[in-house]
Amino acid sequence: MTRFISHSAEETEQFAEQFAKKLRPGDVVACFGGMGMGKTVFAHGLARGLGLSDEVSSPTFALVQEYTDGNIPLYHFDMYRVSDFDALYSTGFFDYLEQDGVLLIEWSEQIESALPPGAIRLSFARLDENTRELTIEGEGF
Amino acid sequence: MRILAIDTSSQSAGCALLEDGRLLGEFFTNVKLTHSQTILPMVQSLLDQTRASLSDVDLFAVTTGPGSFTGLRIGLSAVKGMAHALGKPCVGVSTLEALAWQFCGQELLVAPVLDARCAQVYTALFRWEGETLTRLEPDQAIPIAQLEQRLKNEKNAVFLVGDGAEMCYNMLNERVPLLRLAPPTMRYTHAGALALAAERAAGLGYTVSAEQLAPAYLRLPQAERELLAKQQSV
Ligand SMILES: Nc1ncnc2c1ncn2[C@@H]1O[C@H](COP(=O)(O)OP(=O)(O)OP(=O)(O)O)[C@@H](O)[C@H]1O
Ligand SMILES: [Mg+2]
Repeated sequence: MTRFISHSAEETEQFAEQFAKKLRPGDVVACFGGMGMGKTVFAHGLARGLGLSDEVSSPTFALVQEYTDGNIPLYHFDMYRVSDFDALYSTGFFDYLEQDGVLLIEWSEQIESALPPGAIRLSFARLDENTRELTIEGEGF
Repeated sequence: MRILAIDTSSQSAGCALLEDGRLLGEFFTNVKLTHSQTILPMVQSLLDQTRASLSDVDLFAVTTGPGSFTGLRIGLSAVKGMAHALGKPCVGVSTLEALAWQFCGQELLVAPVLDARCAQVYTALFRWEGETLTRLEPDQAIPIAQLEQRLKNEKNAVFLVGDGAEMCYNMLNERVPLLRLAPPTMRYTHAGALALAAERAAGLGYTVSAEQLAPAYLRLPQAERELLAKQQSV
């Protein structure tokens, strides 16, 4: 388990950039924590760390965004609106799991029972306005 | 009648060319590649190697599901595009029925199973008696435990086939003694069997236009659709 205290959005982004270096194709990063925690901020840093330059935005409306201009593609999901199995199926989630990319999933709470067994769990807790505690659980962390 | 059949519904992908019950050629791959990038070149190679041209095709066949969300759309789009351009009819075949057709001419029960994730499968049940195929169960998405209930009282051997066959066999074979696993060469969807199924369907008049082709989605059982934390663990 790894713990990190971030004091700003920039720090979260830099931490994510370093964290990205440890990821391998096929890794699933499941994010937990409520609204405005910094999951999308983290996704920005992760994309940069994976060498992806496409602008990362929040995929809440698209459900999934693909970033494929680097060595390892990033599939960025937001499950906020996904509340049943059929909806999850229709995002193509199970097909993305078969691809050799990294999956980052915002709002993993929504699909917890469908996460693959080896998923890396990243939990956000808000300590104050600009301080977040990030906890990473998973093999090698 | 020449039938071009395309399957990208699950883990494997393939295409086949059938003429009046005779398989002229078939392509099959089962590697981690995007079907969207492989299926059309595969069709082109098949046509090249069989010295056929697309304009000789009288009917297009495709698996319409159940299966992978993305995979089904890739196969359907490819077939819709070609059939529409050439103004030729199509036949959509259940992926599970296409799998059952791999046993055409035998005397046995076939339970096709596709992995629907989270301990669920897409499945059905068929009986082959020579040339006669009888459907015993509709296409359904059910928990693997329910498949066990369905199969454990069978008095005859049941062959599992499909991308979930090995998983189900390993989970159930001790408690379902008459369970059998299709050999590796027949385990996944083969476009040749899809073409045979389509030929019979066309003979019965089940052809549609390119526009009418649509994926057949199966809803997952209500209780199992709950995805939130602390529900059933997998
Ligand atoms: N230490 C910090 N780390 C990350 N973001 C921070 C931090 N401190 C403040 N913030 C601010 O919190 C907000 C986080 O927004 P972000 O969109 O990343 O949240 P989110 O977890 O993706 O929310 P949602 O659930 O709505 O998708 C930003 O406005 C960011 O500037
Ligand atoms: Mg967000």
